[in-house]
Amino acid sequence: MADKKKISVRFYRFKNKLKEKTAGLGGDENVEISPEALAEAEAALADMSEDYPDWVSGTIDKLSEQHRNCVENADKRKEYFQEIREIAHDMKGQGGTFGYPLISAFSDGLYGFADSRGKLTDDHVEIIKAHVDAMRAVISNRVKGDGGEIGAELTKGLEMAIAKYKV
Amino acid sequence: MAKFDFDRLAILLVEDSPFIRSLLINSLKILGVGTVITKDHGGQAISFLKQVKEDPMKAGVMSVDLIISNWMMSPVDGMMLLRWVRRHKDSPDRFIPFIMISGYSSKRRVNEAREMGLTEFLTKPFTIQAICDKLTLLIQHPRQFVHTKDYFGPDRRRQKVDFPGEERRLLNDKSDCVEIIRG
Repeated sequence: MADKKKISVRFYRFKNKLKEKTAGLGGDENVEISPEALAEAEAALADMSEDYPDWVSGTIDKLSEQHRNCVENADKRKEYFQEIREIAHDMKGQGGTFGYPLISAFSDGLYGFADSRGKLTDDHVEIIKAHVDAMRAVISNRVKGDGGEIGAELTKGLEMAIAKYKV
Repeated sequence: MAKFDFDRLAILLVEDSPFIRSLLINSLKILGVGTVITKDHGGQAISFLKQVKEDPMKAGVMSVDLIISNWMMSPVDGMMLLRWVRRHKDSPDRFIPFIMISGYSSKRRVNEAREMGLTEFLTKPFTIQAICDKLTLLIQHPRQFVHTKDYFGPDRRRQKVDFPGEERRLLNDKSDCVEIIRG
């Protein structure tokens, strides 16, 4: 009897309500998202992407402000680095969606770098600035995609700054 | 090929970035989703879900069909929301499909979410195509839910692999300690 059994695993198998709601009761396997609607959503994203540089400039300003804090108040650098890390994490998740993968790439680098656990020297703070500058260059020159030569140059410049200052 | 009609769907979207939020609302609306409710962080989402359970008329929807949530939000993040939805007695539906959107894509993070009963993971930066793929996957290939001593969520075995050897798994549908609940 069921009540004498010691049940250790329960499997819940429910009817597919999502499918009933979206594909009707026919249970048709061959259902897809309308390609027209998908294209329209992509076009709307492309429209929105035109506003992205303006919007992200505000975010880069915030990074810049945290950088200034690091310069002016060396005692609190740990705290500011944490803020920088959070901002970078958000930026990383957005740039690529709006056609600016370099912003995602630089943010990802910054996110990793700002996780420094040791002593935060002036050199560390300079590397933050190098990231901010590279991001500004991407946005002000509207460097989309991988950015071709300019993109490669910016990436290289940033790598060199890291190599130069990293101790 | 027949097309999905998302008009009857109610999606709860939890995202703190206004820019990404409007992108997602726009995209879901264009794809035909009937109702998109948005909240700024997990805490607001939990209050709303409680209201759906207690007073759906006031909440404005009878049920929520899907949650799409960012992970990193403050004060209540996406993982805390997922935990609440899957485990809390006030949750209106512990089986609700849950898509986490996140820039955290390390294996450790993805695993953490999976162990909490996540349905799908959407990595940021995302594309519209990726959103559509996840929606299609949820609808076409729902997974059974598994409840054990230390896990509650969609079955973490996604594939049914034909194994040529002898069946040596300890449990199957006929085992005494297995209960199957259909609904």
